[in-house]
Amino acid sequence: MRFLKGNSFLLFLVFLAILVSMVQNAFVLHLLIMVFTSIALGLAWNIIGGYGGQLSFGHAAFYGIGAYTSTLLFVHWGITPWLGMIAGGILAVITSLVLGIPCFRLRGTYFTLATIAFAEVLRILIVYFKEFTGGSIGIVLQFKGGFWNFMFRNREPFAYIALGFMALVYYLSVWIENSRLGYYLTALKENEDGARALGINTYQSKLIALMISAFVTALIGSFFAQYLTFIEPESEFSLGLSIAISLPVMIGGIGTAMGPVIGAFIITPLQELLRIYISGEYQGLQNIIYGIILVVVVICIPQGIHKWATGIMWRKTRS
Amino acid sequence: MLIIIGQSLISGLLMGGIYALVSIGLTLIFGVMNVVNFAHGEFLMLAMYLTFWVFHYFQVDPYVSLLIVTPALFLIGAITQRYLIQHLIQAEHYTQIFATVGISTVMANAALFFWKADYRMVKTPYMSSTLNFSDLVVSYPRLISFLVAIAITVLLFMFLKHTYLGRAIRATAQDNTGAKLMGVNINRVYIFTFGLGSACVGVAGALLMPIYYAFPTVGLHFVLTAFVVVVLGGMGNITGALFGGLVIGVVEAFSGFFISPQLKEAVYFVIFVLVLLVKPSGLFGLTKG
Repeated sequence: MRFLKGNSFLLFLVFLAILVSMVQNAFVLHLLIMVFTSIALGLAWNIIGGYGGQLSFGHAAFYGIGAYTSTLLFVHWGITPWLGMIAGGILAVITSLVLGIPCFRLRGTYFTLATIAFAEVLRILIVYFKEFTGGSIGIVLQFKGGFWNFMFRNREPFAYIALGFMALVYYLSVWIENSRLGYYLTALKENEDGARALGINTYQSKLIALMISAFVTALIGSFFAQYLTFIEPESEFSLGLSIAISLPVMIGGIGTAMGPVIGAFIITPLQELLRIYISGEYQGLQNIIYGIILVVVVICIPQGIHKWATGIMWRKTRS
Repeated sequence: MLIIIGQSLISGLLMGGIYALVSIGLTLIFGVMNVVNFAHGEFLMLAMYLTFWVFHYFQVDPYVSLLIVTPALFLIGAITQRYLIQHLIQAEHYTQIFATVGISTVMANAALFFWKADYRMVKTPYMSSTLNFSDLVVSYPRLISFLVAIAITVLLFMFLKHTYLGRAIRATAQDNTGAKLMGVNINRVYIFTFGLGSACVGVAGALLMPIYYAFPTVGLHFVLTAFVVVVLGGMGNITGALFGGLVIGVVEAFSGFFISPQLKEAVYFVIFVLVLLVKPSGLFGLTKG
């Protein structure tokens, strides 16, 4: 039983891997890939947004940097996306420093505002330098199958890779939660003056959390570019994407590793189904529903579904 | 060359008046409630569509429909505060931000759903009329919009300075516990402030319609500009937002001409980061807190 308690997430991962190997339906596989990546993105966002309490509405910028770096390196110089992915991650870390160094000197909403403006500026630059980036039309990756090209004929390898990412970011989150950095972040989120009085370098802690978050987000951006074989500035750098990244966290529960997992399993399939069944006919309707869910969750269960549900179970077992 | 500089300065200042008005609404709400209203741009979008539909169905001139759109937006803002944001006053700070993000998502997409992605314009007889001062050309509707924007701003200042309610708002912004102890009903102040901030974009929306076009995501452009302006002027600083708006208007006009119209937002952001680095309290004096 003790083994089960400590490794329940590992068992869950094994279950998901078996599920991927058994599923034949391409759409179900697609749903699973979307859920895995939403979890990975949500967890990455959660590192700075949840543990550190620094809300970012510009994570699409890191995602877009990842997507564009690997794709441009591959299209222009034939460099394998596996390397491009790492390059994108490093570039995202550098840009996160450009963003974090001025903003984290200040408290409060400056960072949030700057992240939005930042993603917007990157979008503008990508559109402007169209000879190199494909401009607002975007880039379509020609299909060349093979491991080194990071392109596969069916979805199964993508699903395993996505699952791998999800596992990686989950364990990274758990590790951060129990590390010195995690305690620093919790402390500065609750009370920054108090944290500083105790000798915590809050500025540095926030920067490190942002760098980790940006790196992971960029990796998943690269992954997605390979999966969809199409990138465009309008979607890669949009505010809508940044909000979508943070949504599973907000719905599942902010500042926990389990929250984004639960949130994504609830919201992502719903979103994909809505997109397929109603977005063609009724433009905008899916995002209306999406926004309403967000407002309702925020007002009714602001602590998120994870803590809310465990709270209910607690009460039941105790009574 | 001198003409170009003069012309850029004029068109920049005229647009800056509108930016100032939008930003004042945002900074007012932030100053009092410490919440950045991410739906502020969507409120502006709604005001623009309202102006458009009132014109479309009843042929009411946009400058006249100010009298309808402004109170309507005040009401919408007050209701949003009373029935949505108010529930979250005790909750963690991020929940308020997410609530406004949710509202913004719903509004932008509802506009897309009901009114489609078409660009809507109001055709007025004075649309393209201009005033000429030797070589300088001033667009007539832009001039009117600017003057009205400045007049409304002055009125707002006088209101905040000289009325009881205005003083209560400023007191709450400075220290809400203190204001409460002095007998200010701060919940009512919150509702009123949110209404007032939204009424600012109500005015701005009506003023924009004769010179701009409405579409579901029009709010994003203006709210991004307003974020920059608000930081430039110091968050919560209304005078700062006024001058910040004018400065950004001029910067936009000059960078549009001398660098590239497509890159003008990139220029804002560089300014934004520079201000954060050099003078985080804003270019114009001190912020609160």
